[in-house]
Amino acid sequence: MVSTALKAEAGRPGTPDRPRPIRRRPVRGRTLAFWLFVGPFLAGLVFFTFVPIGWSLWLSFFEAQNTVTPTEFVGLRNYTEMLADPEFRRSMLTFTVFAAFIIPVTTALSLALALLVNRVRFMQAFFRSAFFIPAACSYVVACMIWRLSIFNGVRFGLANTLLLHFDLDTVAWLQTTDPPLYWLVLITVRLWLQLGFYMILFLAARQRIPGQLYEAAYLDGASPGWQTFRHVTLPALRATTVAVVLLNLIAAYQAFDEFYNLMGNTAIVRPPLIYLYNTALGAEQDFGRGSAGALILSGLIVIVTLLQGKFLRLGKRED
Amino acid sequence: MRLSHQRLNRRRLLALGGLAAVGAATTACGSNTGRDGGDPNKVDLSQWYHQYGEAGTQDAATRYATEYPDANVSIQWIPGDYDAKLASGLLSEDGPDVFESHFNSQMATSGQVVPLDDIMADFKSDFSEIDLFENTWDGKVYGVKMIDDPQLFYYRKSMLTEAGLAVPTTFDELIAAADALTGKTVKGLYLGNTAGAGVLNRPLLWSAGQDLLTADNKIGFGGETTIAALAKFRTLHENGSLLLGAPTDWWDSAAFTQGLCAMQWCGMWHMPLIQEALGDDFGVFPMPPVFAPADGGRPSIVNGGWSTFVSAKSKNVEAAKAFVKWLWLEQVAHQEDWALSYGFHIPPRKSLAAKATKLQSGTAAETVALSQQYGIGANPAWTTTMNTALNDLVTKVVREGADATAELATATGKIDDELAKAGG
Amino acid sequence: MAGAVMPTGARRPRRRPAESGPVGHRHGVRARVVTVAVYGVLGVSAILFLIPYYLLIRNGLSTDAEITSPEWTFFPTDLRWENVTELFADTETHFASSLLNSVLVAVLQTTGVLLICSLAGYGLARIPYRHANKIFYAVVVSLMIPGAVTFVPSFLMVSTMGWVSDLRGLIIPGLFSGFTTFLFRQYFLDFPRELEEAARVDGLGYWGAYWRIVFPNSLNFFAAIAAITFLHGWNAFLWPLVIGQSNESWTVQVALSSLLTAQTIRIHELFIGAAISILPLVLVFLFLQRYLVQGVTQSGIKG
Repeated sequence: MVSTALKAEAGRPGTPDRPRPIRRRPVRGRTLAFWLFVGPFLAGLVFFTFVPIGWSLWLSFFEAQNTVTPTEFVGLRNYTEMLADPEFRRSMLTFTVFAAFIIPVTTALSLALALLVNRVRFMQAFFRSAFFIPAACSYVVACMIWRLSIFNGVRFGLANTLLLHFDLDTVAWLQTTDPPLYWLVLITVRLWLQLGFYMILFLAARQRIPGQLYEAAYLDGASPGWQTFRHVTLPALRATTVAVVLLNLIAAYQAFDEFYNLMGNTAIVRPPLIYLYNTALGAEQDFGRGSAGALILSGLIVIVTLLQGKFLRLGKRED
Repeated sequence: MRLSHQRLNRRRLLALGGLAAVGAATTACGSNTGRDGGDPNKVDLSQWYHQYGEAGTQDAATRYATEYPDANVSIQWIPGDYDAKLASGLLSEDGPDVFESHFNSQMATSGQVVPLDDIMADFKSDFSEIDLFENTWDGKVYGVKMIDDPQLFYYRKSMLTEAGLAVPTTFDELIAAADALTGKTVKGLYLGNTAGAGVLNRPLLWSAGQDLLTADNKIGFGGETTIAALAKFRTLHENGSLLLGAPTDWWDSAAFTQGLCAMQWCGMWHMPLIQEALGDDFGVFPMPPVFAPADGGRPSIVNGGWSTFVSAKSKNVEAAKAFVKWLWLEQVAHQEDWALSYGFHIPPRKSLAAKATKLQSGTAAETVALSQQYGIGANPAWTTTMNTALNDLVTKVVREGADATAELATATGKIDDELAKAGG
Repeated sequence: MAGAVMPTGARRPRRRPAESGPVGHRHGVRARVVTVAVYGVLGVSAILFLIPYYLLIRNGLSTDAEITSPEWTFFPTDLRWENVTELFADTETHFASSLLNSVLVAVLQTTGVLLICSLAGYGLARIPYRHANKIFYAVVVSLMIPGAVTFVPSFLMVSTMGWVSDLRGLIIPGLFSGFTTFLFRQYFLDFPRELEEAARVDGLGYWGAYWRIVFPNSLNFFAAIAAITFLHGWNAFLWPLVIGQSNESWTVQVALSSLLTAQTIRIHELFIGAAISILPLVLVFLFLQRYLVQGVTQSGIKG
């Protein structure tokens, strides 16, 4: 939806069809009115988005450790250092893998929940609320529950209580690296927080599909279940699916909260934003390399988004 | 807390004003470093502490600050990642004037802190060599040591006795003991939630007979010795005898006192709490030698602690220095209170340590004696970047089983770069 | 997309029987089996989804000794409501001031965003101006920039202005949401022109028409955007973490996170604090779900 709207806008030259002015008034008056409406926003956008990015670009060409007014120009050194740093590369790679896993899982499960909730009549509001309410929770609160009460490594965590009940050994969920059990914790917390949100998107889209489409499918001999899902539901939800995947992708690369609160700054699993946070705002305070890294990451996100848009044929419209 | 409320109110008014004046945002940068509620004729100073785990410490720090006659001192008490918060705070306009931290040369070379030689002059001889060395760079003293904190192993006497074990005297024995003490709901050893990667890095190298840096500031570790020491550490990790995932980390004694583990690496600061919870049922021992003494193996103890500094960004450097001199050099009673009334810390002043009766009996006395014999302090030439490199090395080799030779090369490469930067 | 009426209301939507498939006599048994299975899956999932809330309340009303005991207690027999007063009395948590900060940040940010972005959206949608297209493209470009990646330069900016540890630094940079402006513009493009014609008859300018006609007739959309903006303001973490460096400028999320990684922790205090912190939003979710759902479906990208 979002993406289709974006695409539709970007593809429409000379947006929008010039509206007729409300009242005949001189051009200068209209200009004044325009700036009255748009001016404050535009000033803020320039000041808090474009200027910082420009400054960041400038800093990325300087040796700027512990200072924001650097004097030593170093050319592309910050970029080459970041790209050569195996830790930074590893964080980017880890998160490409993370994204490749979390995106399909979130999309599939939220779609499944939406279709299930859509099917039932009795207690539908209850189920919808039960799945949606975690979206009210912050990552911090969820991580606290996960870390201290469900997946802590000692005998009084919920997961370990269950294991002990079945006479199994306790497990250090967040600290075990082989196999990397911490992914279970990181992924379940994200699913709990996000599934309901995407479910709502799918549910709304599903309820917009006209019933006649299904009736027509049954007349054509399609049996309920897989066949109608495959040939009616899925195509009709295409645009929503694209939007959900896109949102997921952006969210995955910007993962920070749960890693910060569950894992801290550990070399084991360090998403790009944690790495940048530590480089620029942590003990290192290197704004040159931090800025360079942020720009590299932005570039990567834009490229992946575009590729993914191409792959999913972003242009198809829902309605 | 009335003080902070008034300050808040003013901030909120400023915020609202700022919101209204959003178009003129650039010009709306009012200063809000003023701390209303204090004497308007005195300068305002902000003093930062990390959050101490011992009850009563925050109140004590606030009490000292209010007693200071020559400035309005406000306290920031910071839980969580203190190093990160401090680093960014020091850059911002709202940073501390006076703060506690651990010194490294970069703080001096990048001009974050000011030398304190003038206020230290009369007191220097009362500090130990170790404490002076760790706060000195290029012949100037930058920090005043507030407390000395030995870090070492605690063990439950009853659990070792029950298992028929003696106190470990080598790293191999420690590995075996941790293994033997591990049961269904009790683990042998707690080294914190990173499985000791981080906190045990330095003791491991020291007890293997090496060091972070040599006396002439070259890399002091590497080669077969380091690789073999890391391999032993890896064995300890692989045995499944380490407690992991407790709610608090190694610096808190909760896991030890709750009976989740038989041995734990911790600081002397929690000894009063441990005594209260376990009575006489605990003892201490240093990091045991990793190799035989003939191969350089030796016991070691981390001589940690905190020092206090004056930020170069402070608008009142002289006032901040005067406050540091007052609190951490002249007010002997406060220093004694700080070191002994809440947790246990060794007072860095020789004159004070000599009369610290609470540390002159039992396990506390034993710990003090061990730290005098085996304690090793921090090296100011060791920077945060180097520390991150070492941390990554130990994490990857010990916890993830990566190839030690390759990772060692990566780490030493980074440290060499950093040393070259500092040298050039 | 904007303006579409979302059927997922708080009330159960009307459904056509055919949507569930042709439930004829022959399919009766099978359909019943499927229905039971669907309820089974939904029931188990719902229980799993509700467990964290159970833990939040259980731990929040227990003592630490009960929480860390080797034996699992399903629910404390003595509900320790005094944990709430203990939390607010604990000077190290700064809970009361953090809660107040969160309220201020979420409320002021929501108000500011609604005002600034709706005006801009209206201007871009309705007022003809030579450079309007260029400005609109700048907005679209700002959408392409991954939000969280700009936190380093934004921090430098805010820090230079001395807004670190200051509510201004927490609130103001978040007021100029390109995405919300984009949404408002889309919405106003679809706004019925006839209504504005009436304003013309009354001789109102753009400003008058906006406040007298357009705004009062768009309250649903404003409510939807308000709900989602408030949600994000309340739950934001990275930016308040970067900006809120002094204890007095913590938001409740930063306070909880700091306590989670503190030297020593009092588990029951953390949990009761977390429970209090999510209470306003849970209430919003339960009672204003319709607007939220609308907000979510219309502005999903902010998640």
